[in-house]
Amino acid sequence: MIRGVDLQLASCHGCELVIRMRDVDHDAIAVCPRCGAPVRFRKRNASSHVLALVVAAAALYFPANALTIMYTEQFPERRADTILSGVKFLWGRGSWALAAIVFTASILVPVLKLGALGFLVISTIRHSAWRPRARTRLYRALEVVGHWSMLDVFVVALLTAVVQLGQFARVSPGPAVLPFAGVVLLTMLASASFDARAIWDLDRGSGRGGYE
Amino acid sequence: MRCVTCGSQFHRGNGDLGAMLAVTVTAAIALVVANALPLLTLTSGGQQTRATLWQAIGASYDRELPFVAIALSMTLIVAPAVELGLLMWLLVPLCLRTRPPGFVAMMGLLRALRPWRMVEVFFLGLIVAIVKLSALATAVPEWGMFGVAVVAVSLAALAWFDPGALWRRAGEVVA
Repeated sequence: MIRGVDLQLASCHGCELVIRMRDVDHDAIAVCPRCGAPVRFRKRNASSHVLALVVAAAALYFPANALTIMYTEQFPERRADTILSGVKFLWGRGSWALAAIVFTASILVPVLKLGALGFLVISTIRHSAWRPRARTRLYRALEVVGHWSMLDVFVVALLTAVVQLGQFARVSPGPAVLPFAGVVLLTMLASASFDARAIWDLDRGSGRGGYE
Repeated sequence: MRCVTCGSQFHRGNGDLGAMLAVTVTAAIALVVANALPLLTLTSGGQQTRATLWQAIGASYDRELPFVAIALSMTLIVAPAVELGLLMWLLVPLCLRTRPPGFVAMMGLLRALRPWRMVEVFFLGLIVAIVKLSALATAVPEWGMFGVAVVAVSLAALAWFDPGALWRRAGEVVA
């Protein structure tokens, strides 16, 4: 197994140009000749940034799911929906596929994402040698699914606005909208802060760059 | 070519800048359609309403939801419009073999913006909203929603192109 650090090579975070570093020191910095961004072997303090963002997102996950995300009033009825009861509503109307998609995007993906990010950071800090290739693939998958959790925020905003224009009923967003959008935003920032190259620092003391 | 250590692919995707420009222009036209034409028509008790994207943003602003209005306009209008504008600014000169002004800064902005456009998520949101609305009124998709679908598909197609190709062409042009 060969890493860039072993060959004194590092890729620029701005433009992905691979450059030869003059220093072997793991905290070495160079300036990218192509785009001018600073180049490092590993992002600095990446693990503490990711952990802080994951903890904040996990705290917001509870109000996001427990509180009401949407109120619907059509005289004489009035209902308050959480994310889960919104899924049940779709299921009850026979839209099973949509219910499954919303459940996956809004409830399953955020939990799995928080768990996976926590696992990736902790295994990286501990220089775990457990299946680094699979962990790299897990990280790539997280990058792809990240923003799909925004689905419910869009649905609530659309329903509020469209029903307002039609004036036959009243839909208003509940207190869960902000924490929910917060979870999505913070987990997106967390996965962007993670440095997947550090997964491969299997030996303690090699290529640490903030993973001490 | 794959990385010997982690197995990920190098130089992902297509490096054809002309094809990339064609997809960009398609997405830009579709973005105008998505913004200008109504997304859906609502019918309730003989009353018909057409809802456009801008009305939806305006309505969420009126309902004391400035945060939601800002999130909608950023992820659905500003981020994709700026991305497509930047791509045209970069690709037209590069295809004509000249270096676009401000190339490095524009490439940086393009990279920073990319995660924040969510047109494809919005399209799925529209489908969910139509199903939920069917409890309150009859909702029918309109041409604006078709525009949203085309924007979502062409932005996804742009991800298949290799951004490294722009850097390489800019390097050749300067040399």
